[in-house]
Amino acid sequence: MLSDFGIVLLFLITGFVFVALGLITAAIIRPHNPNPVKQSTYECGEELISGSPWIKFNIRFYVVALIFLLFDVEIVFLLPWAVVFQQLGWFAFIEMAVFVLILLAGLAYVWAKGDIEWEKPKPYIPSLKDLVVERKQHFAE
Amino acid sequence: MIDQFIIELQKSISLFKPEATLAVTFVVALIADLIFKKSKNISGYISLIGFIVTFYFLFWQKGQNYGTFTQMLSVDPFALFFKFLILLTSFFIILMSFFSKELYINNRSLGEYFSLIAGMTFGMFLLVGANNLIMIYLAIETMSISSYILAGYTKEIHRASEASLKYVIFGAVSSGLMIYGISILFGLTGTLNLFEINNFIANNNVNIYALFFSVFLILAGIGYKISAVPFHFWTPDVYEGAPITITALLSVASKAAGFAVLIRFVKAAFIDNTQLDSEGIWILISNIDWRFIIAVLSVLSMTLGNLVALWQTNLKRLLAYSSIAHAGYMLMGVAVMTDAGVTAVMIYFASYLFMNLGAFFVVTLLANKIGSEDIDDYKGIGYRAPILGVCMVVFLLSLTGLPPTFGFIGKWMVFSAVLESNFIWLAVIGVLNSVVSLFYYVKIFRNMYVRGVEENENKENYQFHPIAIIVLLLLAIPTILFCLYPGPIANWAAASVGIFLG
Repeated sequence: MLSDFGIVLLFLITGFVFVALGLITAAIIRPHNPNPVKQSTYECGEELISGSPWIKFNIRFYVVALIFLLFDVEIVFLLPWAVVFQQLGWFAFIEMAVFVLILLAGLAYVWAKGDIEWEKPKPYIPSLKDLVVERKQHFAE
Repeated sequence: MIDQFIIELQKSISLFKPEATLAVTFVVALIADLIFKKSKNISGYISLIGFIVTFYFLFWQKGQNYGTFTQMLSVDPFALFFKFLILLTSFFIILMSFFSKELYINNRSLGEYFSLIAGMTFGMFLLVGANNLIMIYLAIETMSISSYILAGYTKEIHRASEASLKYVIFGAVSSGLMIYGISILFGLTGTLNLFEINNFIANNNVNIYALFFSVFLILAGIGYKISAVPFHFWTPDVYEGAPITITALLSVASKAAGFAVLIRFVKAAFIDNTQLDSEGIWILISNIDWRFIIAVLSVLSMTLGNLVALWQTNLKRLLAYSSIAHAGYMLMGVAVMTDAGVTAVMIYFASYLFMNLGAFFVVTLLANKIGSEDIDDYKGIGYRAPILGVCMVVFLLSLTGLPPTFGFIGKWMVFSAVLESNFIWLAVIGVLNSVVSLFYYVKIFRNMYVRGVEENENKENYQFHPIAIIVLLLLAIPTILFCLYPGPIANWAAASVGIFLG
């Protein structure tokens, strides 16, 4: 007699055994000759970012993700509405228009505040003047 | 079937006008700030107008008792009382914000600030009427997310950002606990509607340990909002770091919303509502004695709040601990689980609104002049700012609960409700705590009037904006007036204990 949770337990056990078996078999069979390239983390063919992973990265990624989420959720609400739209009629249309308008106000806000401008970080190119100043400081010391 | 649904929906929407007004206020205030960039306060004025319109719609809701949106939100006298309190608080907070110097640093406009206050008020309105566990969770999040941003609104000030971050982290943990509790309760009963949960527990055998565990987790989420010990750890840091106006808003409005949802949750889900006692004593349906658990939380809150407040030197931090203690007093009224207890909590909140907002407004105005909230910097200030000094004494006396003030009526009602239900030990602890609290409140006006008089003798008096003084008097006069004439508020609260019950 298996209860509903018994099945879940069986699945869990099977899952663990499956992974463990695979790893153990591989450890027994595979040849063992590591080198630095092999041991580096695979990052889709990109060059690795070396050093500590605790680096600062630009906050605009968060902003873009948040804005994306807003409109992603909008779709989730629009879809069931569209399915029953014909039965509900004008009332539902006005309700949804209000909802979309509120979201549009959000977009207008984000736009006006300049949060969807993708500012590229400007690379620092030293000019001759800067170099001269730097040199002078160096000699002054 | 769909026709019926639409009729239901239209009735619900007609009862949803106050909340809808707040939502519109939020959006309009935000957009107005974008259009009129020159004016710093435009969205503040729009919020004030929006709040007045909301007041108007609230008056029309009088006497309604209906579960709108298929019993998601109830519109009943109980919710109405708390909605009035919350709206009045937000109204005063916006008025206070115009006079707070710290908000206007770097010459910035306060568009988001005012519109977020409207958004937070919207969340609290939903919370006081929520009948469904998911609705409770959603409303708590609407309220919390606005308050996280507001707590760190002056992001140039280091301690404000710190406060905001701490608030977010504690808040995330507690709402995580709460949703975990909700999921267990849903698993036990198969429904999220509070009345159906009540029905299920009354008619079926529910595993008592699982029930206790889930409800305790939900209480943790609500306890975080009302800053009851042991869920209070965020309170001192956030209250100290946040702008003073926001501290006042958190200490009054979000606490009121938390208490409203606590009372509604306990009463709708765990009280036998089929055979209502004529004396207003609630009968529990499960075997767990929630009275004792809430009484213990109450004793912990007031004792810890008062004892730690004794050692504080920063006035905002002191008021934070005192607000924990006040949460303890009010929890006494909930713990006895009678209609008299709930009425007492409602009256206490009405008094707490005036006295606490008033105390924080005095702190705001003085912080503008002396740039500090330290009690030692208040030496002799009672002579340099006479009106503020006198008002502060009134508010502090009221917070202590001494007779010529509204705070006395609130405390008196709570204690008499506790004694009526034979919780004598609880009342004794409450009275002892009030005595302890007298010490640190007196410490403040000792600094204002007794110490450092010579140093300040020849200095000029501080000048305050006349409207600021009027707002202050609007808070101070009711604090005294409602002690002499508490009838209307007491009657209104007694008439408003009725909760919509399915």
